[in-house]
Amino acid sequence: MRGAVAVLPLSLACLPWGLLAGSMAVDAGLTPLQSQGLSTIVFAGASQLVAIGMLKGGAGALSILITTLLLTSQHLLYGMHMRPRVAPLKAPWRMGLGFLLTDELFALTSQQTPEHFQRWYALGAGLTFYLAWNLCTLAGIVLGKSIPGLQHLGLDFSIAATFIALITPVVRSVPAAVCVAVALVCSVLFSLWQLESALVLAGLSAMAAGYGCKRVMERGQ
Amino acid sequence: MMVWLVIVGMGAVLFFNRYVFLEPRLPVRLGRRAQEFLGFAVPGMLTAICGPIVFMPDHQLNLSIANPYLLAGLCTVGLMLLTRSVLSSVLVGMAVFYALRAWL
Repeated sequence: MRGAVAVLPLSLACLPWGLLAGSMAVDAGLTPLQSQGLSTIVFAGASQLVAIGMLKGGAGALSILITTLLLTSQHLLYGMHMRPRVAPLKAPWRMGLGFLLTDELFALTSQQTPEHFQRWYALGAGLTFYLAWNLCTLAGIVLGKSIPGLQHLGLDFSIAATFIALITPVVRSVPAAVCVAVALVCSVLFSLWQLESALVLAGLSAMAAGYGCKRVMERGQ
Repeated sequence: MMVWLVIVGMGAVLFFNRYVFLEPRLPVRLGRRAQEFLGFAVPGMLTAICGPIVFMPDHQLNLSIANPYLLAGLCTVGLMLLTRSVLSSVLVGMAVFYALRAWL
């Protein structure tokens, strides 16, 4: 329950984002069932939008899947970070939490140490967020049919606002600040150069920079 | 048909990415350094996702004061530092964004 409460602000913030996913899918020519299926089966905001864009542009299935793999490879890092907490649990717990492990859930639970990891908290937060995301998508599908041009309303800012609110409290040290600065510069530069996996590369560079900075500071002491 | 194939395939890819390192039979042990490195995943990855949204609306670099994404983003950072509340920061940040968009 406490997990469900903790994730409520993030669920509210995913309303515009879900509206966007639902209305864009309908706009791209997917049936309402397919549009909902994207959110129910895939459950990944950013890459759903990218996939919809690619489907609309007539891209092949394989290239969409490869893009998805690269775009969502941050989840590999999340999984590795959560490994000491989740791997000792039973299979249903592992699979359940694995399916629900979004950017948002990771940000909420990653600060808990393995000894203090609360699986019910994580499950409550994850399920609530899953439900909210699917309801928002449904709303987007319904509204997308009645309000044309919904996707040009700047709904994408909601994802930025959510992530900014998640990142800001984490930046409490010099290495973390370095990491954020490198992430900003690299993500913008790599996107301008139109690199295939710009965001993953930028994120990894930033993590390396933050880690390197931490090492150097430790050596200096 | 091809759409359903893509949807199910994406679901499988996502689940693979999320689950593979949660599988105890996978023989990986993480050292302290690896865990420290992964500790930078939130500031690193989430910031990288935000960067282009905030600085490159319409896929072009826009560093001007008239970029509502940039202004409202800075506002959200300020709100978060002041209030420490995710809900109010996100909601007020979005209100600021729409106000700026209507006004600029």
